[in-house]
Amino acid sequence: MHNKLSYPAIAARGLGVDLGGREVLRDVSFTLAPGEKLAVVGPNGAGKTTLLKALMGLVPRRGDVMLHGRGSRPAAFVAQSSDLDLDFPATVAQLVTCGRRLQKKTFGWFRLTDRQAASRALTRVGLDGLESRGIRELSGGQLQRALLARALVQEADILLLDEPFTGVDAATVESICEILDTLTDEGRTVMAVSHDLSLVRNRFDRCLTVNETVIADGHPDEVLGPDGIERLLFSH
Amino acid sequence: MIDWLTEPFAYDFMRRALLAALIVGALAPAVGVWMVLRRMAYLGDAMSHATLGGVAVAYLLGVSLVLGALGAGLIMAAIMTVLPFHPRLREDAVIGITQVTLFAVGLLIISKADTGAVDLSHLLLGSITTVSPADLRIDFALGGVCALVLALIFDDLRTATMDPQHAASVGVRVNLLRAILLMILAVVVVLSLQTVGLLLSVALLVVPAATARLWTRTAFRMTVVASMIGMVSTFLGLTLSWHVNSPPGASIALVCVSALVVSFVATMPRRVAQADQHLPPGSLSGETPM
Repeated sequence: MHNKLSYPAIAARGLGVDLGGREVLRDVSFTLAPGEKLAVVGPNGAGKTTLLKALMGLVPRRGDVMLHGRGSRPAAFVAQSSDLDLDFPATVAQLVTCGRRLQKKTFGWFRLTDRQAASRALTRVGLDGLESRGIRELSGGQLQRALLARALVQEADILLLDEPFTGVDAATVESICEILDTLTDEGRTVMAVSHDLSLVRNRFDRCLTVNETVIADGHPDEVLGPDGIERLLFSH
Repeated sequence: MIDWLTEPFAYDFMRRALLAALIVGALAPAVGVWMVLRRMAYLGDAMSHATLGGVAVAYLLGVSLVLGALGAGLIMAAIMTVLPFHPRLREDAVIGITQVTLFAVGLLIISKADTGAVDLSHLLLGSITTVSPADLRIDFALGGVCALVLALIFDDLRTATMDPQHAASVGVRVNLLRAILLMILAVVVVLSLQTVGLLLSVALLVVPAATARLWTRTAFRMTVVASMIGMVSTFLGLTLSWHVNSPPGASIALVCVSALVVSFVATMPRRVAQADQHLPPGSLSGETPM
């Protein structure tokens, strides 16, 4: 029987990605234990988002990726909110319910249990009462929390978040951090891309600096010290 | 008033026309909702033009013109599914290329085949009053299958249209879904051959959906309202054409557009009020707009 706790949550070995004829990522290797909270840091265009997509299998990749010892997809991905079409006519509850896609039949509709799960997730991120509001009517911070709720309803053990703290106020950052702390306390694994170095130092256990490949991997205080930043910026 | 509305349907051929019109009037806007929401409204127009090539080939082969149109529609759907995989070919360019190619093939064949004796105008402009019981059976069968498939993939369409990236991450086969939608579109365009004709089929695809968008806040309600507008428009258009002796297709299209104009004016106060309350997003809570 497959015991997911006996495997790393994420194990990447020799991971590489080519997009549009350009090598975006090369030879990325790291492992992440269940319950760890990892920040991914790097300059613009360093391949951070591509790394998350490669782990999810959303872009063609080389190398090996195992999530809890399997090649399949027990992870939830929170993309940047700019990927969402805000003109689409949908309520917040419908947005979050979309996260239940893996729990429903391929040809079929979401059920009451899916809508109830969405409602619970909205309560968890502090958006209860906004179920029937249109997605266009949410503020930036509310939208980011709704996207987090959409990931929570997937009930995945691994959460991959692409810049969840960008464009939101301090209160929302704190709220998202508290939710991520709760998730790791429950044994779930969190990997988030962030540009906020002080936030990474204060709220993450581990930091992976990336610039087409892994530059450093360790505690944020070590990786993001003056030497670490210099290595990251001048790694080409 | 009741007499004015019911008088045309005292005849068998008009009752058949009404049934055919209602099938297309309900189905085309339901498909059109996804064309509008995916910003692919132009594709409906392109698809209708492209079917001309299939019509011409079918005439040469001596088979059903509707089958020819359906074949061309499905070919266009297949090309539209495959070509955009090339990273340097944008979707709007592929639509234009495919439309022009199939339309040109149709014109070429028609000009060489000396089809002067064949009246293709009933396919271009519609000929709903000539619908036979056999046509109706085909309309019911094809329309029923399309409606069923559309209903079954509704939640996945919503997931994939709202956020394709997320949809792929939760197992939605985004490209397969798009291919299915294009095939349904091809069938609907062909069904509308007899009602409003190829040239005006885009009216039933796009206008009721755009009208419904003005009134509704969810994709499901938008679909229901668009289909209702489509059915009412086809009924009124058909009745109007009987009384004023106008082409049914053009009458139906103009009733659709009238509904859009009325809806635009009627919803204007609500839009102004919403703009006052909600713009810019986030301004009420003091958070950064996104």
